Amino acid sequence: MSYDRLAGRRGAAAVRPCSARLHTRPAPAGTRLAWLYLVSRRALAAAAVIAVCAAGLRMALIAHWDAYGALQLPLVFETVAAAAVTACSASPFGEPERVTVRKLPWLRLSIALALSAVAAVALAAAGAGAHLSGGTLDVVRNVLGIAGLGLLCAAAAGASVAWAGPTTYLVVGVYALYTQWHGPALTTPWVWPARPPHDVGAALCAGLVFVTGTVVISVRGARDPSGERG
Amino acid sequence: MIAPQGLRAWQPSDSARRWRVPAAARLTRLELRHNAMPLLLPLAIAIFGVFTYSKTLGMPPLWNVRAANTQSGLVADFVTPVAGAAAWMGSREARRRVTDLLETVARPRFARLLASWAATSSWAVAGCLLCLAAVYWATSLRASWGGPLWWPAAVAVASMPAFAALGFGAGVLVPSRFTAPVAAIAAFFVVALSTELIAGSQSYWQVSPIVSAAWDVGPDPGVATFYPYLPDLSIAQLMFLAGLTVAVVAAATGLPRASGPRRLRVVAAAAATAGLLTAGAAVGLTGTGTLDAHGMIAIPALHDAADDRPLQFTPVCSRTAIPVCLNPAYAADLQAAASALGPVLSEITGLPGAPVRVIQSATTYRQGPGNEVSISLAGPVVSGTPAVYRLLMPDQLGGPQLSPGQLRDALRAGTDPSVIASVVGDGPGASAAQRAVAAALLLAAREPYRALATGTASGVRAPGTPVPGSVPSRRRRVAAAGAGLIPAPVLQAALRFRALPASVRRAWLVRNLGALRAGRIVLARLP
Repeated sequence: MSYDRLAGRRGAAAVRPCSARLHTRPAPAGTRLAWLYLVSRRALAAAAVIAVCAAGLRMALIAHWDAYGALQLPLVFETVAAAAVTACSASPFGEPERVTVRKLPWLRLSIALALSAVAAVALAAAGAGAHLSGGTLDVVRNVLGIAGLGLLCAAAAGASVAWAGPTTYLVVGVYALYTQWHGPALTTPWVWPARPPHDVGAALCAGLVFVTGTVVISVRGARDPSGERG
Repeated sequence: MIAPQGLRAWQPSDSARRWRVPAAARLTRLELRHNAMPLLLPLAIAIFGVFTYSKTLGMPPLWNVRAANTQSGLVADFVTPVAGAAAWMGSREARRRVTDLLETVARPRFARLLASWAATSSWAVAGCLLCLAAVYWATSLRASWGGPLWWPAAVAVASMPAFAALGFGAGVLVPSRFTAPVAAIAAFFVVALSTELIAGSQSYWQVSPIVSAAWDVGPDPGVATFYPYLPDLSIAQLMFLAGLTVAVVAAATGLPRASGPRRLRVVAAAAATAGLLTAGAAVGLTGTGTLDAHGMIAIPALHDAADDRPLQFTPVCSRTAIPVCLNPAYAADLQAAASALGPVLSEITGLPGAPVRVIQSATTYRQGPGNEVSISLAGPVVSGTPAVYRLLMPDQLGGPQLSPGQLRDALRAGTDPSVIASVVGDGPGASAAQRAVAAALLLAAREPYRALATGTASGVRAPGTPVPGSVPSRRRRVAAAGAGLIPAPVLQAALRFRALPASVRRAWLVRNLGALRAGRIVLARLP
């Protein structure tokens, strides 16, 4: 069997020896660092989860839902997307990374902001042109607020169980939406999924949680996984 | 050969040998100590406390209502943390990259995973039992009759291993940092929004453990108060949960090649198949269920005919001129009922044909088109000789819980005119004299006169659509507000009759009530 045949249709060039690769110009250190950081946080997988969420929301909106379902359905997908953002805060390296990487807070901030933006835009786009309860404003507010909550949980309890924050908040949100029919209604702005999209108090609360979560996760990072259960 | 002292020191003593804990139990104990579920359990219990517990305790102290609400609440509150924690535990070996390392230990993979799932389930069941105990204890302090219903509790408890199995299976099959949140939310999505697909009483989706009663009726005070609680749906749900648990656990832990020897995998495959068949059979059985006349789901293959016999109870009665008797479960409402009906009852006491007793009766439920259910009095309003007036309490007809004041108002608006009508023959097609006498008696009892729209059957259609012309019903009050206007001659006659001394009025009624009821007395003949 010849060397060319092993290389396939692209020929020998596709299996250049290592020495040839060593002579190519390496990417800038900053770019490589960012790329490695994204890979280590499974950011691409998170983006894939968010994309699946958006597709799922779009498909779900095709079906007919009664008032309960129509209100609660988007919140479920928003929470999955926010939990995916939260899951990316887990570091596989822990202490060594904190000691050796200099721009870690900026990297954390960037990935949190970027993934949150991707989640909000993807879900808003999925609902465009469909009967999405609350509309785009509602989606953006809910996704950012719940993502902020998840990031806060990651900083406080560790990224391994940080998903418990958004999922618990999902139950609270669904219950609050339920109380719109079966009073007494929960009207606190801290349970923003149950508030109308133009409610300023709810938007402020969600925004505050998101900003706090982003800042805390950027500065402190997720809590070390040492000694975690499970 | 004599063993060295050092080796002999490792030999377990006799007592230790006698009490030696099996390796599986020690492994489970280790898993219990290192499980993620205890971290999440406080969250689940807090959600239960804030939402379900407080809501349940705000309901009437009836076992059936509270047990049904607790089942739904527990399932909804626990599904997310249990499925998430189980998924996290299931993905542990892969996440920590110790799968290959653990292949070398004495215990097969099947045993390790099974212990991990069992530990997660045990924590969840413990939390669930704690919450159940809190609700049942609080109910036992206030319930005036009946006892705890264990079927809804069993379904709630059996849901925990099932949710843990689903999450665990997801974690084993797709070990990733995203698996736990996605599994948790997916489980919640399936459980909470599966109810969207329920249409009518013959729905396969009622097998979901969040459904604790006929979905269109919900936790209703009229259900399982006069007739025994039907466990048919609960049995089907337990079958489904058990089958699902066995199938998922066997498939996730025993089927993969690395799980253990071939014989073990064959057993796991057989268990998974049996579990799937059981779950499928449960779904099929649920689809054959129908709403029975007592407001519960009856599944023919699981139904016990003995459950169709009414419950025996000694009613609690008021000391009014005509006793008002309620089911002992409603003892707390007796005072409100007696004070609402008392004035009217004293007006008709001793009249020929007047009821000698007012007794609370059962409702009957009928499935309508789609998700509509009609609830009405089972049988005639007045029955027997001497006559007994059969009363429906307003909350037996569905709708929100009423305070004592609201209950009194509802009875005065709905039942008082109906009681008078049953004596004087007021109603649709009644003569002017009958209407005048009915109005006079109501006014004498200081009740506003409301004309009866139609008939004497009572009922509403759940979830709140009034049955046209139903009496007595909370809805009727609204419908009859405009109908309360009576012609001026009738009103004048009524006012005149009311102005008579009570003894004169009574004497006239004793003499003429039969003729009045038969429609033979015209308005001009009223004194």
